Amino acid sequence: MTVESQSQELNPREKRPLDLKGAESTSGEPRFSPLVDIWESDECLTVVADMPGVAADGLSVNLHENVLTILGKVAEESQGRKLLSQEFETGDYYRQFALSELIDQAKIKASMKDGVLILTLPKQAPAQPRKIEVVSE
Amino acid sequence: MALLRWRRQGFGSPFSELERMRDYMDNVYSYLANGVNQLRKNYTGVFPLINLFEDDENLYLVAELAGVESQSLDVSVKNDTLTLKGSKLTQIDREGVTYHRRERESGSFNRSLTIPAKIESERVQAVFKNGVLTVTLPKAAEAKAHQIEVKNF
Repeated sequence: MTVESQSQELNPREKRPLDLKGAESTSGEPRFSPLVDIWESDECLTVVADMPGVAADGLSVNLHENVLTILGKVAEESQGRKLLSQEFETGDYYRQFALSELIDQAKIKASMKDGVLILTLPKQAPAQPRKIEVVSE
Repeated sequence: MALLRWRRQGFGSPFSELERMRDYMDNVYSYLANGVNQLRKNYTGVFPLINLFEDDENLYLVAELAGVESQSLDVSVKNDTLTLKGSKLTQIDREGVTYHRRERESGSFNRSLTIPAKIESERVQAVFKNGVLTVTLPKAAEAKAHQIEVKNF
């Protein structure tokens, strides 16, 4: 069932509230910054983010002027139920990254499984140097 | 609230002063404990964190388990104890890559808790959806609220 080398016990971690660097959120709902793994190979950049409660249709990934924005909306399912005991809060996830590499936007792939977003961002082939001839008049 | 201890007045026992001091320290500690609880809500320090809900028919236990393989999830109920077990594997070492962030953790978990009401353990259901585990525990007939008719004479 479990991997044998995996003897380490998981520790509970409180969710990291979103830090908007001074900008206030207009809604009173809590928002969180998802925990991520990011790694880079020669071909692409991969971002993996834990966003429990986010379905594929509640996710929006945006790349604009080299800023990658991840927004995950949580579907509320506890309506009509009375809360007896609360250890964690639920809320949307939001995080931005400034990318240093040029990304081939057309080939970005995103998949969502068991509350984990896997985002593959293929790097753009380096632009061919173009020699510009200077015409002297 | 601590019960007040009845004490005979006047007859000085050598221990009465110690008792008084002990009661005082108990008060101090319970005050401190309350303060911490208010700060951390019901934080238990055991993974996963759990929210409990109820309606007229069921109790609902909700835990966020993003990235836990559903095959590794093990939910069991024995008498009034519910146990959640599972594992999450994220730290696969990939060759030829450079890590920029490693915030997600790997490991296993095992948490038991006491169910606060009588339930029908044969009808317990567990659903794992979008990384959120919801266990629905149907209340036993004796745990459901009964409307008592008030007769008017």
